[in-house]
Amino acid sequence: MTGDLKVAVVCSSNQNRSMEAHNFLSKKGFRVRSFGTGTQVKLPGPSPDKPNNYDFSITYDEMFNDLSQKDPELYTQNGILHMLDRNRRIKPRPERFQNCFERFDIIVTCEERVYDQVIEDLETREKSGGQAVHIINVDIQDNHEEATIGAFMICELVAMLLMSEDLDNDVDEIVQEFETQTKRTILHTMAFY
Amino acid sequence: NEEDEAAERESNVSTYDKVVDLLNQASLLQRDSDKIRNLRQVQELIIHKDPTLLDNFLDEMIAFISDRSVDVKKFVTGFFEEACKKDKEVLSKVLPCFGILLADDNVNVKKKVILTLTNVFKYIIQWLSKAKTTTPEMTAVWDNIHKIKQQVFELLESNNDGIRTHVVKFLEGVVLVLSKRSTDSLIPKNQEEDITLDQIQDGNKYLKIKKLEEDGQNTFVMLLQFQASPHISSINLMTVMGALTNIAKQRPIFLDQVVQGLEALHVNLPPTLAKSQVNSVRKNLKMQMLALLKHPASVDYLTQITTLLTDLGASQSEINRNMPKMDESRKRKL
Repeated sequence: MTGDLKVAVVCSSNQNRSMEAHNFLSKKGFRVRSFGTGTQVKLPGPSPDKPNNYDFSITYDEMFNDLSQKDPELYTQNGILHMLDRNRRIKPRPERFQNCFERFDIIVTCEERVYDQVIEDLETREKSGGQAVHIINVDIQDNHEEATIGAFMICELVAMLLMSEDLDNDVDEIVQEFETQTKRTILHTMAFY
Repeated sequence: NEEDEAAERESNVSTYDKVVDLLNQASLLQRDSDKIRNLRQVQELIIHKDPTLLDNFLDEMIAFISDRSVDVKKFVTGFFEEACKKDKEVLSKVLPCFGILLADDNVNVKKKVILTLTNVFKYIIQWLSKAKTTTPEMTAVWDNIHKIKQQVFELLESNNDGIRTHVVKFLEGVVLVLSKRSTDSLIPKNQEEDITLDQIQDGNKYLKIKKLEEDGQNTFVMLLQFQASPHISSINLMTVMGALTNIAKQRPIFLDQVVQGLEALHVNLPPTLAKSQVNSVRKNLKMQMLALLKHPASVDYLTQITTLLTDLGASQSEINRNMPKMDESRKRKL
């Protein structure tokens, strides 16, 4: 088993989908980090056209305090405060994928647009060493329920991948098996560092 | 002055002793991670801190290729690459080790060696390009790299998907070395210093440019043929598409054949791909075509590229955004 493989889970804002999966995976003992690919961290606001936008440098704690002040009832009721509270126990602040230069073996993305952004970013980086990385997209809708189901699925997938003695050789088969099991369409490609 | 020299001598002696100590410990340590930690320190000391010690300890490092641990073997493979980069004279001693490690039973060792050889091949050509006369060491390295290169080429037929993927990256590297840059070559910044055939002078004892250029073209054809093989896996396919696009961007002389190859692929995707794999491949193909479209040399192939992109679902605005910037002289020609 290749238990020392490094996994990244990536969504848009590094709040809901990637953090739910980060939480799940780290509890299972996997080496995992999570990221967002957006230019800003977006959280729902009082109405769809008034989201709360934050810079990636703002901590979860600061966002929690900000929203607690703005409208504690609204953000308690829609679960945002609960989510931020969970997140600040995992790590201090959201992280942007494009600013991280650690190398991973597997990158799981949560929507096609994020998958595209990850690939584009890896393509434009300067290459050295040529180490391979698998990028796999599992579509997850951005709400609490789907994030929980999604995290469970990602955890299954990662466990299957890490069980392999020879990931590069087995990945195609594992991904197909996972697709059949979950009845979801997966995108999968490989990039090189 | 004398004091400085004395201090330097002392520091060299202590580095020497430290390396001896680290190597002795490494051979006794049981845990792979501890062993590698020691060897990493040795690498730092004899390659970066005091490279004059490299030759002294090379044999001791070479001994670790028969270690039972996969990670140790992978580590020393990386060490050899660093050593060759620092001092090309070690090539004659180190190259046979790559041959041995390439034949290792473990696929991860094999893959690491293939990956490393891409750079080592560059270093060899760079080293030989400076040769004024022939030496037995150079001749041995030149003969040996041919054999090793051939061994890697044969692995394109391997049963292991990951090994084939790595061979594709090796072939890409070989084509880039064994071809000439042109004015419209787009070279990634960290590859600017890499050796290419246009930098080699005629009359070199080992490097016959015409012959090497032919070798490069044959290697390129191997990639094209691999891309067209009917039962290719989706990951191999996307890797080879990426490799060919990289080559076309850096050597536009190949652009014509790369575009044709991708066109042919688009109408004839391997029947063995599952539905979602077809989606991934088409998405990847679209990305490669947009990258090619951006290249200034694509002006001569605009119709083919944009037709293909439209077939792949690219919007007109996406195409317009990626149109090549044409310079005035080119516009006039059109």
